Amino acid sequence: MATVTIRNVWKYYNQTPAVKDLNLTCPDGSFVSILGPSGCGKSSTMRMLAGLEHISAGDILFDDVRINDLAPKDRDVAMVFENYALYPHKTVFENIANPLRLRKASEATIKDRVNGAAKLLEISHLLDRRPSELSGGQKQRVAIGRAIVREPKLFLFDEPIAHLDAKLRAHMRGEIKHLQKTLGTTMIYVTHDQLEALSMADYIAVMHDGELQQWGTPSEIFNHPVNAWVAGFVGEPAMNFVTAEIRGGGDGVTLKHANFEIPLLASQVGKLNGAAQAGTARMGVRPDALTISMTRPDGPAITGVIFVNELLGGDMLVEVQLQDVRMRVKTSTDFAGKPGETCWLTVNREKWHVFDAGDGHAYF
Amino acid sequence: MSQTLSLSQTTLDAVDRFRARKVSVEVEARPLSAELPTPTSFNPAARKAYYFYLMAPAIALLAFISLYPFFWLIVMAFQKGDMGAVEWVGFKNFTDLASDGRFLSGWVLLFKYSAMCLFLQVGIGVLLAVIVNGSRYEKFLVTALLMPMMMAPAVAGLLWLFLYNGTFGWYHWIFQSLGILETGSILSSAKTSMYALVLVDVWQWTPLITLIALAGLKRVPRDQMEANMVDGASPARNFFAIVMPNLYPVLLIAVLLRFMDNFRFIDHILVLTGGGPANSTKILPIYLFEVAFKFFDLGRGAAIALVLLVVTIILGKILVGVFDRPTSGGR
Repeated sequence: MATVTIRNVWKYYNQTPAVKDLNLTCPDGSFVSILGPSGCGKSSTMRMLAGLEHISAGDILFDDVRINDLAPKDRDVAMVFENYALYPHKTVFENIANPLRLRKASEATIKDRVNGAAKLLEISHLLDRRPSELSGGQKQRVAIGRAIVREPKLFLFDEPIAHLDAKLRAHMRGEIKHLQKTLGTTMIYVTHDQLEALSMADYIAVMHDGELQQWGTPSEIFNHPVNAWVAGFVGEPAMNFVTAEIRGGGDGVTLKHANFEIPLLASQVGKLNGAAQAGTARMGVRPDALTISMTRPDGPAITGVIFVNELLGGDMLVEVQLQDVRMRVKTSTDFAGKPGETCWLTVNREKWHVFDAGDGHAYF
Repeated sequence: MSQTLSLSQTTLDAVDRFRARKVSVEVEARPLSAELPTPTSFNPAARKAYYFYLMAPAIALLAFISLYPFFWLIVMAFQKGDMGAVEWVGFKNFTDLASDGRFLSGWVLLFKYSAMCLFLQVGIGVLLAVIVNGSRYEKFLVTALLMPMMMAPAVAGLLWLFLYNGTFGWYHWIFQSLGILETGSILSSAKTSMYALVLVDVWQWTPLITLIALAGLKRVPRDQMEANMVDGASPARNFFAIVMPNLYPVLLIAVLLRFMDNFRFIDHILVLTGGGPANSTKILPIYLFEVAFKFFDLGRGAAIALVLLVVTIILGKILVGVFDRPTSGGR
């Protein structure tokens, strides 16, 4: 177990920076998820932690010990690879036993620990097989078994469940989280799936273009995104963005658009920091912070035309056409509106966001 | 409605189309016993006959130049005599071999020669491949390494004949200067002649192993090496645990090729020593050549050739069996 500190770390591939000035502190025993789209530098960060990639600049510390120049074998980390990277010429038992054998554990310890890990992961009946005889989910369990069979300082999971089918993935999310809590080892989990990060992690580091965008708990990331990019990346269905004009000043500030004019709450006006003069801003509302009705509501509302209804099983997602954009609203399945009909959307102003029209940082 | 909604016409059209769409899914499962549709296109099996006619001349030619002589080799192995009068002797040619000292020592020398060649070629070849792999000058190095292989074996033999020469040979001079060689020349000493031949074979054919091993190295899965490193393996350990198991299948092909070549290529040996001095390099194929084409005992020569062929096939089978364990597959 260890506290992992990443301090001003850069990674260059030739002249191209892949990770830019990254600063992170993962508390001992925490489950940290590095979240971002392809090419955001999350895998490079993980590979630098594992020692598979040279660190171009900056320091990585495990418990205040600088490990930049240590070989992977001396870092005492365990890693689960995206494509499992099992040894095809070894049995499942030998695959899991490999880290112990390389550390010259006694035969009794090996047997004991491998059986223990296999039991935990429910793969005891597979120990004599070879990786080619396993299904994707089983391979993934073996890969995790290989990581947990000894007690490393740090677990590194590189999109370990990305290749599983949706149902198994949902199941493994719970399993992995439970496993981490049981073992209590610090875990860094790289994923591009915001749902995985939100549902599993204690802390999420959102990365984009090699830069850390936001660090926080899943609830902070989801409810208080620091910029429009994070807000748009996290959450499914994605947040709606509408560019609107900021009207007024002092206490009575409204957002004005061809389809609506909605005043800000009194507590939110101050957060604009005088950006009212800037003219335009981007309003961000999640689909579940909107209420749709076919009759004109009392308060301020957005007027639009229903474009399409999508049934999502328990909910219904309605796409509403505004003058320049479409907004998506989550509603109940008994919603009776038909495409082409006019409707009104009420915004839950406790849960909306206003971002700067230029750099996209969040006012609130 | 306080605001006029200006939706574009295309959007409204799309909405209309959406409304007009009737969503009715009719699934008709066909009973399993239902009549299958008649295929309208046929498998290309019928074309094979046509291909056969096209290939027939080539097949006939090959049969004439390889099957016909092979048939005669078998017939000759049971006969005594040369081109003129022949006599049918049954298995005598084979039984005689059992008491032929040259034949038996030829086997011993052949195995010694082949084992040394294979060991050195695989060892050096893989080492070179590892060095060359991923090097900035990889393409140039591979081209340079391949040059010995491009030389005709007899020419290579002549080249080394100069290098080993007892008066002006470069190697002769080096070995003598180093005190390894005391008197005589390299090729005329029974102690060193065999090693001299092995050196020529290693020089000429190691590049083949390097080339094949290099191709094998390219397909070693990187993630497995990385996983093993994180598991705690040193680079050397990683090489033997991950790289070598992945190299076995390709090395098998290389070893198979080289071992069969060792059993039949004698060009450079004929040029360099011709089996001497004092029969110290008279490996079986050389002896076979001598019996058949110097003493013109064609019957006995044919018998030796057949035995050599059978042993080659058996050894090849064993080799494939040893290397092609299920463990190295599994992908």
